[in-house]
Amino acid sequence: MTIAWRGAEFRLLLPILLLVPMGFFVTNVALAGVLEPGDLTLAVGYVALFAGAHLLLVAFGHRGDQLILPAVGAMGGVGMIMLNRLPQDLAGTSAFGLELGMAATQLLWFGVGIVAMLAIAVGLRDDGILRHYKYTWAAIGIALLGATLLLGYEVNGARLWIDLGPVSVQPGEFLKIVLVIFIAGYLAETRTLLTSARLRIGFLSVPPLPYFLPMLVLFAVVMLIVVRLNDLGAALLFFGIFLTMLFVATGRRSYVLIGLVLFVAGFVVAFQLFGHVQARVNVWIDPFADPLGAGFQPVRALYALGRGGIFGEGLGQGLVTLGGNLTIPFVHTDFIFTAIAEELGLLGAFALLGFAMVLVFRGLRIASLARDDFGALMVVGLTASLGLQTLIIIGGNTKLIPLTGITLPFVSYGGSSVLASFIMIGLLLAVSHRSGTADRASGS
Amino acid sequence: MIATNVRRLGVYLMLAFAIVSGSIAWWQVVEARSLSTRTDNPEVIAARRSLLRGTIFDAGGGVLATSEVVDGLSRRTYTDPAFTHVIGFSSLRYGSTGLERSFEDILVGQTDPNPIRDLVSDVLARQPEPRDLTLTIDRRLQDFAADQLGSDAGAVVALDPGTGAVLAMVSTPTFDANPIGGNPEGGTAEMDALRNDAAEPLLARARQGRYVPGSIMKVFTAAAALDAGVITPETTFPDQPQQELEGFVVDGFTIREHDLGGIQPGLWPLSEALQVSSNIFFAHVGLELGAERFLEYARRFGFCAPISVGQDDRALSVAPSLMTAPVEDDCGPFADDVELGSASFGQGRTTVTPVQMALVAAAIAGEGVMPQPYVVRDVRPHADGDAPSEQVLDTLGSSGGTRVVSAEAAAATRAAMVDAVNGEFGRLYAGQGDITLYGISDARSAGKTGTAQLGGEQAPHSWFIGFAPAQDAAAPQIAIAVLVESGGSGSGRAAGIAGEVMAEWLRLSGGE
Repeated sequence: MTIAWRGAEFRLLLPILLLVPMGFFVTNVALAGVLEPGDLTLAVGYVALFAGAHLLLVAFGHRGDQLILPAVGAMGGVGMIMLNRLPQDLAGTSAFGLELGMAATQLLWFGVGIVAMLAIAVGLRDDGILRHYKYTWAAIGIALLGATLLLGYEVNGARLWIDLGPVSVQPGEFLKIVLVIFIAGYLAETRTLLTSARLRIGFLSVPPLPYFLPMLVLFAVVMLIVVRLNDLGAALLFFGIFLTMLFVATGRRSYVLIGLVLFVAGFVVAFQLFGHVQARVNVWIDPFADPLGAGFQPVRALYALGRGGIFGEGLGQGLVTLGGNLTIPFVHTDFIFTAIAEELGLLGAFALLGFAMVLVFRGLRIASLARDDFGALMVVGLTASLGLQTLIIIGGNTKLIPLTGITLPFVSYGGSSVLASFIMIGLLLAVSHRSGTADRASGS
Repeated sequence: MIATNVRRLGVYLMLAFAIVSGSIAWWQVVEARSLSTRTDNPEVIAARRSLLRGTIFDAGGGVLATSEVVDGLSRRTYTDPAFTHVIGFSSLRYGSTGLERSFEDILVGQTDPNPIRDLVSDVLARQPEPRDLTLTIDRRLQDFAADQLGSDAGAVVALDPGTGAVLAMVSTPTFDANPIGGNPEGGTAEMDALRNDAAEPLLARARQGRYVPGSIMKVFTAAAALDAGVITPETTFPDQPQQELEGFVVDGFTIREHDLGGIQPGLWPLSEALQVSSNIFFAHVGLELGAERFLEYARRFGFCAPISVGQDDRALSVAPSLMTAPVEDDCGPFADDVELGSASFGQGRTTVTPVQMALVAAAIAGEGVMPQPYVVRDVRPHADGDAPSEQVLDTLGSSGGTRVVSAEAAAATRAAMVDAVNGEFGRLYAGQGDITLYGISDARSAGKTGTAQLGGEQAPHSWFIGFAPAQDAAAPQIAIAVLVESGGSGSGRAAGIAGEVMAEWLRLSGGE
């Protein structure tokens, strides 16, 4: 193990980690109305976490991508500033004799997540354990879902949570990782078969069904359970990940097309069958029809976007609460992006989107440089997950698509989401390390 | 192979990010303003609770409406109920009315009256800056006119005929807007009482009240016919003296003269016909002019469509004045010659607003050019004290008037109106409109009374339109329309009020 100076990562982390305490400072001044730095403990803790992660990667001689960690640090930093600015009693922990507010709890999860990320990035030197036991992973995934179905409790009409004493976890967040690993393993093995076999109906290449069967069956089971759990966002996300990986593995646009047709058909069926799907679509089409009832949340979110404008209202100066109530319910999870866009404006929103794009396109780069198909497909799946989550929730915030309860990676409040996202980053870095992309990235 | 597919995936993802970026920009840039001003936006409503509204001053710099923020709540105080139907009120519960409504964004500072600065402030400063309004109305004249109307229901509209500046616009009965507009939450009991009041105090009679005009319409008929060349000041109608006694049969219907009060009918030209207010004469004039030209002139004068005091959306709306049964926001055709003949002397289906009739008077006073009325003179930065700021951000003057009849036609009509107040016969009808009765010795007034017969037992509405000074070549400084509901015949109430108000204005403006 030799030390590898990660110069690009250091130089990119430096401004980001200076700006996070600055953001806390500005927010504190705006909220308190006095020119005092206020409590910067969490900002310092945040900086320490990323500095520590960087130093450990250096110490272990990690040669993985150097832009990923700064991009994560930037997204998380914006998220932490915003979560610190929101009312702290929105969420929190009172476990292990600790009374932590929302931002402190989030920071705690960042700590757990970064440890997990480092463990995977440094420790996972061989992905055989992932590839060879793909059916085991699939079983674990199904078990996770089953557990949710049986033991889970509902929040907002979707049964996504399992209570584990001090913490509640959202198995769905981890399920998507397991699912990606399984599909990557399966596709890596059968890829040649899937692409060479040709079955044509008219001008469409139809997938050779027998080769697909095991994967489709598993996928169908997952989708059914997810729909049963009333988690439409997850259904959309899983389907998107699946189609993306299928496309990269086979290069067949027609598969994606068939998939999309199936999805639309499934959606139409769901629309006919389930009242809550209809309600959600109606709210999406015209939230202003019932601005105080069903359309309350999306309408308030649009108003917040409008208030933000191009330059934003300024950190700490958005209209988060009104008469003691949140102007947007669930602002810390589903609508964290809107809160950021209100205070930092279109420019801040674009910056956040830019960080996400850096993450996604570095992910794709890692995939294209990966040494084997499994690694490449897994990275594509994980990157697609991070990217699609970002697109789906921001699109939901801006009424581009119906709103679903998906988290914005590293930004939304939520321990499961943070931990799962860091695990994904850990896997990305591990694959990147093996293909040695760090050398090429830094040009050394 | 996989690398190629990843690159293609990258292109698709790039496209998706671009679309999502577009959707953010849509709400934050394109739709931002319309979202932030939506009236159902609870944040907008709540923010207004604490938002300072600009002060409204009268022409002399006196405070008419002012705001102060007490315990985070903005409280509005209205100092003069005579202005309620001009200024209106701003209520979280009942919305805004009057100038509080049409100048809302300027008063709370969301829009700069200068469009370029507006754009700049949108980009740079976000904090709303309230702005003050100065009216064209002098509080002394407004209060004087309101006192003249007293407890009667009615309206006084006075304009500067040269500029269209409103000098007074009073509607009675009025009400105290403080319990409704001054209280962010309350005012329900007061509002319910106002709504249930049979005297209809919520109706801004000057702008929104529509009344049968009676003989004041003869001013319009005369001006239109003179302009069209249908009559000259010397034109007479040979059958007219006999018809004064026996009636004028049109399409089998007999148009009858009103009670001439002992005056012997003669072969009257325009001046005498206007002095005695001969319905027969003006029925002849209207029929000579013909239905189409009659309506064409009516539209030129602003009848048949909604008009406004102010311009574009910075205006107080005025109900349309109609000549006939309306068809698609316009006057429909006259049903027959009886309706046309009746309209020529202000009966039939004609209903008009006091503002419209003040404009008719102003057009005659203004040598045939009808001004565009306006009531807000300028916009200034918000002044903390009781005195308006020296700096003027925007002057909302008139855009010039519209020529409605030739200067010659206006001069002939004016001469007849001077006679109608001061002439041998005119004095008997409209003598109360003579400003020399009210302490003015060096000037004369012109005008015409109107008595709107309502049928039944109800006392007729009393009208007067006129202007002063009107002698020789003097430039009129005030044009006026006065309506008193159930005020009896014109000489009874309206002419006297008009004379008093015109005289008062000549004193006030002369003394300055």
